[in-house]
Amino acid sequence: MSAILEVKDIKKSYYLGKIQVPALRGVSFEVKQGEFLAIFGPSGSGKSTLLHLMGGLDRPDQGEILIDGANLQKLHDNELAELRLKKIGFVFQFFNLLPRLTALRNVELPLTVAGLSEKETLEKAREMLKLMGLGARVDHKPSELSGGEQQRVAMARALINDPKIVLADEPTGNLDTKTGWELVELMQRLNKEKGQTFVMITHDPHIAETADRMIHLRDGLIEEIKEVPRRNRQ
Amino acid sequence: MKVSRIFAMAWENMKQRRVRTTLTTLGVVIGITAIISLASLGEGFRLDVKERMQSGFELDNLTVIPGSLFAGLSLDRFTDEKVQEISNVTGVKLAVGVMQLGNVTLYNGNKEPVQAFVATAVNFTEFMRVFPDRFVFENEAPWQYTNDTIIIGYKVNHPNENITEPFAVANDTVDLTLGIPQKTPIPHMEYQNHTFIVGGTLQKRGTPGITNFDYWIFIPLETARTIFNSSEYDLVFAKVYNSEDSEKIAKDIEALFPPYKITILVPLTFIKQVDNILTIIQVFLMAIASISLLVAGIGIMNIMTVSVMERTREIGILKAIGTKSRTILSVFLAEAVLVGLMGGFIGMFTGYGLSFGLAQVLSSVVQPQQNTVLQNPERQNMAISPVFSPQWTAIAFVFAVVVCIIFGLYPARKASKLNPVEALRYE
Repeated sequence: MSAILEVKDIKKSYYLGKIQVPALRGVSFEVKQGEFLAIFGPSGSGKSTLLHLMGGLDRPDQGEILIDGANLQKLHDNELAELRLKKIGFVFQFFNLLPRLTALRNVELPLTVAGLSEKETLEKAREMLKLMGLGARVDHKPSELSGGEQQRVAMARALINDPKIVLADEPTGNLDTKTGWELVELMQRLNKEKGQTFVMITHDPHIAETADRMIHLRDGLIEEIKEVPRRNRQ
Repeated sequence: MKVSRIFAMAWENMKQRRVRTTLTTLGVVIGITAIISLASLGEGFRLDVKERMQSGFELDNLTVIPGSLFAGLSLDRFTDEKVQEISNVTGVKLAVGVMQLGNVTLYNGNKEPVQAFVATAVNFTEFMRVFPDRFVFENEAPWQYTNDTIIIGYKVNHPNENITEPFAVANDTVDLTLGIPQKTPIPHMEYQNHTFIVGGTLQKRGTPGITNFDYWIFIPLETARTIFNSSEYDLVFAKVYNSEDSEKIAKDIEALFPPYKITILVPLTFIKQVDNILTIIQVFLMAIASISLLVAGIGIMNIMTVSVMERTREIGILKAIGTKSRTILSVFLAEAVLVGLMGGFIGMFTGYGLSFGLAQVLSSVVQPQQNTVLQNPERQNMAISPVFSPQWTAIAFVFAVVVCIIFGLYPARKASKLNPVEALRYE
């Protein structure tokens, strides 16, 4: 299988006042088409930074990231936005739904941004929510939904544009254990049934072990990359 | 993203913050109300003044006087030939010369004198053709005039409104003392007494611009020529066919004389200048009113900047799902445009409403002074009616939207330039 995502020697630091804090100190790996990859590590290991860089939300100090052959470093902000719209789906720890919009309107948002007609966007969004098991909750606002439901709405929004790759940042981090596992199962199912590539960040090694492969990040460096034996996957 | 969806999104955002939207819009409403009401009142005032002046001035009448108001007055007078030349200018219907008589005292049958008036000698027949509306008699017309006919203006005949007894009536005998300049042996005045029969007394007509016949008396031209042994005129009235051409005709008349030898008083030019001045005042008033719209604009900037901060996370989300900076800019600008459109629309109605209210108040508060100069009694009342000016309305409307866009630009740019990662972290 070809690589959908290539990360080559990425370095990134932040400034806290005048002090330079390195977040990533040279990270390289590849993600294959259809793969389910978990990046895990303690907080402060640089995993969120890595995810932001992979999603083109931020730019590295050094190194290259290629998504589907496109070098993110060579793209302008507008081109990056276009790439995020068409090829990347984001799922966040805190769901990041727009609180004043219904589930349906949240899910159709990327299609609207892409310029589709309202009829089309609503139809597709409804279908996607049904696929997530939320057919009855389309007109509810995020505040009227449980955490698990909200995250599934977020998942529906991430997938609505049929992205090449879904980047999930601690998707279970804000859910109780049971709901968290349900979400992981949902992602696994989508990964298998739709062949969607997933990169999931987690600090929970148990959840990381559900992936095909896991990257252990510590202090901005890859400590190890290991294949997860099939029997271990939940 | 489609423009319609951008506006729909902006509208949704505004609906979420009703109070805030209402207040920002109110600012624009007040600004536009001020501009529109001043514009329509000003326009009404301008048109009212213009109409008064047009009805007051004899637009088709040019007054030619010797000398230049700028380059020095002249004692030159007009010959019969010059008057003929003026009447031959294309567009001139008729030109009539007026001889002015100095040092004159008029006595009525009771030997009561009047002195403060202008004594002139004209050809009555021609003069009546030039001033059919002003040369109108109190007594019965038609009448025959002879060499000793005199015509008396209203104010000469009624020097004091409180005294009902006129100075003279038709067919009265009056005496006129005339000072006739003599050159020999040394320059001096020789006073002669001449007796005239009052042919008619004129009705009150006031000042249509420059001359006021109420203060004039008229004797026949031929009589004056004999007495003064002179056939020249002190001023010429030229009546034109079409007042619109009067400025061009004035130029043609000027060309008949050496430079700076005459001055032509063109009522149209005067009216145009007054109109220009009033337009400038109107624009000035609107400029002052525009300040309130600028204040509203700053209000918009203020509120939108706060909104952008509040919605930082939302902007981060929009960016993460692939919304371009330009689109985010558009959404915020669309909000500003909507505020401008709504404020402008409502302000149009309140503006015209206010202007009618103000006109009522002004009309009832400002009691007109009894004006003896302008004589059309039905036009004496100060009744400014606001005038709907599509042009000023359009300008005000566009101005409202433009101000909103300009002041919305800063917060909108701020929103579009947000760093997505930081925006997503924003609590």
